[in-house]
Amino acid sequence: MAVLELPDWMALAPALILAGTALVLFLIDSIEPHSTNRTLLSGTAVAGSLSSLAVAVWFTVAGVGATGIENYGVIDIMNGQFVVDQLALYFMIIIAVVTALVTVASYDYLQDHTYQAEYYSLVVLAATGMSMMAASNSLVTIFIALELTSLPSYALVAILKDNRGSVEAGLKYFLIGALSSAIFVYGVSLVYGATGSLQLTRIATVLESGDGAVGEMGGLLGLGILMLIGGVAFKTASVPFHFWAPEAYEGAPAPISAFLSSASKAAGFVLAFRVFTTAFPLEATTGIIGVDWTLVFAILAIVTMTLGNFAAATQENVKRMLAYSSIGHAGYVLIGLAALSADGGDLVMGAAMMHLLVYGFMNTGAFLFVGLAEYWGVGRTFEDYNGLAERAPFACGAMAVFMFSLAGVPPFSGFWSKYLLYTELINAAADNTVLLVLAAALVINSALSLYYYSRLVKALWIEEPLLDRDRLAQPTGLYAAVIAAAVMTVVLLPAFGPVADAALEAAAAVVA
Amino acid sequence: MAATATGPFGFAPAIAVFPLVAFVITLVFGRHLPKKGALPGILATAGSLVVSVVMFAAVAGGGEHHTTLYEWTSGAATSETMVEGIEFTFGILIDPLSALMLVIVSLVALLVHVFSLGYMNAEGETGLRRYYAELGLFTFSMLAFVFADNLLMAFMFFELVGLCSYLLIGFWFRTESAPSAAKKAFLVTRFGDYFFLIGVVAIAATFGTVGFAGEESFVTAAETAIDDGTTLFGFDAETWVTITGLLVLGGVLGKSAQFPFHTWLPDAMEGPTTVSALIHAATMVAAGVYLVARMFGYYALSPTALAIIAFVGGFTALFAATMAVVKDDIKQVLAYSTISQYGYMMLGLGVGGYVAGVFHLMNHAFFKALLFLGAGAVIILMHHEQDMWEMGGLKDKAPVTYYTFLAGALALAGIVPFSGFWSKDEVLFDALAVGLEQPVILAAYAMGLLAVFFTGFYTFRMVFLTFHGEPRSAAAEDPHSVGWAVKVPLLALGTLATVAGFANLAPVAELLHADITFLEFWLDGKYGAVEGLTYHAYHETVAFEEGVIGSETTTMLLSAGLSLGLALAGAFTAHTLYNVPEPSRHTTKLGGAYRVLKSNYYQDEYQVWLAEGLTLPLARAADRFDQTVIDGVVNGTSTISLFGSDRVKRIQTGIVTNYAALLVGGFIGLLLVLGYLGGWFA
Repeated sequence: MAVLELPDWMALAPALILAGTALVLFLIDSIEPHSTNRTLLSGTAVAGSLSSLAVAVWFTVAGVGATGIENYGVIDIMNGQFVVDQLALYFMIIIAVVTALVTVASYDYLQDHTYQAEYYSLVVLAATGMSMMAASNSLVTIFIALELTSLPSYALVAILKDNRGSVEAGLKYFLIGALSSAIFVYGVSLVYGATGSLQLTRIATVLESGDGAVGEMGGLLGLGILMLIGGVAFKTASVPFHFWAPEAYEGAPAPISAFLSSASKAAGFVLAFRVFTTAFPLEATTGIIGVDWTLVFAILAIVTMTLGNFAAATQENVKRMLAYSSIGHAGYVLIGLAALSADGGDLVMGAAMMHLLVYGFMNTGAFLFVGLAEYWGVGRTFEDYNGLAERAPFACGAMAVFMFSLAGVPPFSGFWSKYLLYTELINAAADNTVLLVLAAALVINSALSLYYYSRLVKALWIEEPLLDRDRLAQPTGLYAAVIAAAVMTVVLLPAFGPVADAALEAAAAVVA
Repeated sequence: MAATATGPFGFAPAIAVFPLVAFVITLVFGRHLPKKGALPGILATAGSLVVSVVMFAAVAGGGEHHTTLYEWTSGAATSETMVEGIEFTFGILIDPLSALMLVIVSLVALLVHVFSLGYMNAEGETGLRRYYAELGLFTFSMLAFVFADNLLMAFMFFELVGLCSYLLIGFWFRTESAPSAAKKAFLVTRFGDYFFLIGVVAIAATFGTVGFAGEESFVTAAETAIDDGTTLFGFDAETWVTITGLLVLGGVLGKSAQFPFHTWLPDAMEGPTTVSALIHAATMVAAGVYLVARMFGYYALSPTALAIIAFVGGFTALFAATMAVVKDDIKQVLAYSTISQYGYMMLGLGVGGYVAGVFHLMNHAFFKALLFLGAGAVIILMHHEQDMWEMGGLKDKAPVTYYTFLAGALALAGIVPFSGFWSKDEVLFDALAVGLEQPVILAAYAMGLLAVFFTGFYTFRMVFLTFHGEPRSAAAEDPHSVGWAVKVPLLALGTLATVAGFANLAPVAELLHADITFLEFWLDGKYGAVEGLTYHAYHETVAFEEGVIGSETTTMLLSAGLSLGLALAGAFTAHTLYNVPEPSRHTTKLGGAYRVLKSNYYQDEYQVWLAEGLTLPLARAADRFDQTVIDGVVNGTSTISLFGSDRVKRIQTGIVTNYAALLVGGFIGLLLVLGYLGGWFA
């Protein structure tokens, strides 16, 4: 394959394609404002995200980022401001997949909606930001990508302008987001102040060599790092930066909730993986700031998963339950960072990345099912969902798959990724009490989560409906997206070998 | 390792596969087949018999066969003896012992299938498809058990055999007693199998292998461990071998109905008589003793285990024989005789008499199958009456049945020259020889010897009550006729019961100094054998001293004369009491003993008490613990979780300034913790 003959900047193609798609959508909008040609708009967005996905997969298969004679190695762009390696491609794939699912589903969801072109271009722009975030290798590019993701997200949450909940959620999201961005950017400045550099590898070099006055600025650097963690926690909806999530997810159109809770969260995590594995090598950083930064992630992981799951347990509103479950899952993935200090930490991180990929399908699917329910207009609470399976067995079957997979019940993919996460964690926890506590928290929270996930399945399949329903419509796009996500949730399991290898290799490459 | 055997041994799996195929065919198509599935069964068992005979001939020609067919799992655990990794496989081991047993099992199974034509089909039974399907599965399980090359595979088929007996004993499941008897058989044997399973795990964990034969076998490993004086799980090697051997013996005692697990067997008479014949002669009950013979090398390492086997065997032989004396049902008498006869086999094996034990196993298979099928024929004759007091005078009306049954009875009682005499005598001689040096064995021998008298008595009491005298009921006056399907198996087994003893005429050989102890040669690997699994090898391992009275010849003659005399005395007593035109019960002569015997020494009562008086309250207590403590904890956990959930939910107030405050507060909290740990504030 001819990747070698392409200029280096072409390695960013998955992100560039998305950017291009957004521009095309703007073009369509300027030619025909207020266009309601859903097929054209949605089709363009889907085509763009699918091409991005195809290119990312192609690069991965062709060996970009992988070492060895036949492969292309890690590609640095713009003097190391961007880097395209396995980790970046892996997350570009997750983001493109979620974007594709969301745009397919939006086709039906946006029926009779006013701002079609704006909606799709904002989604694709946000996806561009996430994709860039996966490849960013400097605190500047990271911040720009972060804002490129966040700003369209605020608008998207509030896009149902006539809906009070949507607008309120958008505003809250924006306010918390602004606060978090401020904290993050302040953190960036502190780190720059301490190390004199913004490029991640150079920060690491400075920390390792102890050049300049960095050794005396432990507290400053530590505060900077903590603030960076704050920014990450905001993107990944981790405690205590999670407050926006339940309301934004509940108020936003369901496909946007899916998009934010899956793709945006994944982007937040790639940011964390990138920054903390590249810029702050554990030993050197610990030497300077006097404390192991993985401890922060361990605390965040425990608090986040516990709070997410406990709050989800008694929710009456399905979307809100999913929002908290999404916070809980962020807690699981944080384990990947918390375990980095131990031997075998790269395997834990690989398992966490795998969980993110699986999560990309099952969580997106679950939110899209809620979108379907909103499309039908059945209501928002568990009780409103009672007996839906009688009318829509396929969709409800898919939802049962998502729920059980999220809970981590075999044989669905969610079980395998969580199982791998758990076993690798136990292996790494050989002489590390903190990790053992994490493993215990993981088990307890998973057990609790089965309660509220199965509650929904019970409502769908076992409970009698409160009132008789007419036949439910079967919107093609939403159905296709839900079923596709369900199929992937199931068959990712046979394909797990390659997926697992890709995740573990990517993790090993950045940790090493 | 794939099955790459060339020559006749390549067909070995077919022995078990034939009945399995018959099982499937009967199950699927049985309804549409003529004779409701008897034909596939007959063809399959005939096929098994042919292949078994080929195996037998091949072993006689100096061959042996040991191969792994399929490895279904393996593990990397290191065993107590530092063997790394363990493999669990299905494999085939064909050596003299298993070849002999294969022939016996497939022959008896074939004859039982043929007899069933007369006993089940001709009598218009319903559910025949189920009957023949289960019979096929039963035969398959037993044959696969016999040629199993490792303990775990043996265990699996051992369990299948148990399952099939459960199904067949409960064949008439609409009656009240049959399902109850089936359950009893299942539970009692399962109780023993529980220990067997622990034994299998213990052996696997100790030696890292469950193979029966070869350098990789647990027998060899145990021998090495004892020689090296290794300590296993805190015990010295020999003690540990004894413990594991006795655990496995639990399964044996259950299946072979040895004291105290014998209680299921008399109840198992609720099954069709053909099934009883199969269970008692060649499958279920035989499986236990066969397992001891199969892993005899292991037991041979532990004199303690052997002594326990011998003592239990001797005790059971006497114990069951006394109970048989007072039974009125013809099948009940046979049931107790089975228990008693397997006691002899255990006695024989327990004193190191490997040949004697196997010899008696073989002879018993023939004469007990014969007696049960004969009893089946009597039951047909008597229009399904089983009480011997309702019979009488059948001698002249059914000569084929009478003479074949008589041959079986003579063999059972141990009257020269019928087969039972030779093997029982050999068992007792071996026991005596060891007993002269070991008081415990001498006690076992004494019990076995005493049982000979009772055996002669109850056997001929049965014969006289059934066939002699005047008919005592209308049915006996006018018996139903029996067909060829009944007679042919009886004649075949009658012949075998008469002549099978000539396979090993040890006393004659001793007297004439002739080499005619063929079975001993056979089991000693004169023809073909697997290294280490020979009588010779076992004999060297067994640590018992042997004594003689005078010379070996006099001891042998003394022993033979003593047992023959006692058997004849028993038969004669029965003759005087019951071989009269109008026999009476003579029960008052026994006084209080009668009630004890009639109640089977209250064995059932105490076992029922164990279940109802001990296990049930224990189960109730466990249930109460589960209901209150465990459920309480579980419910408490969920209550606390839901309560916690309710609290956590309230953090989300909906007011964005609160969020900002909490966010910053949380961040500062983190900062304080980290700053404190990192010493930033210093």
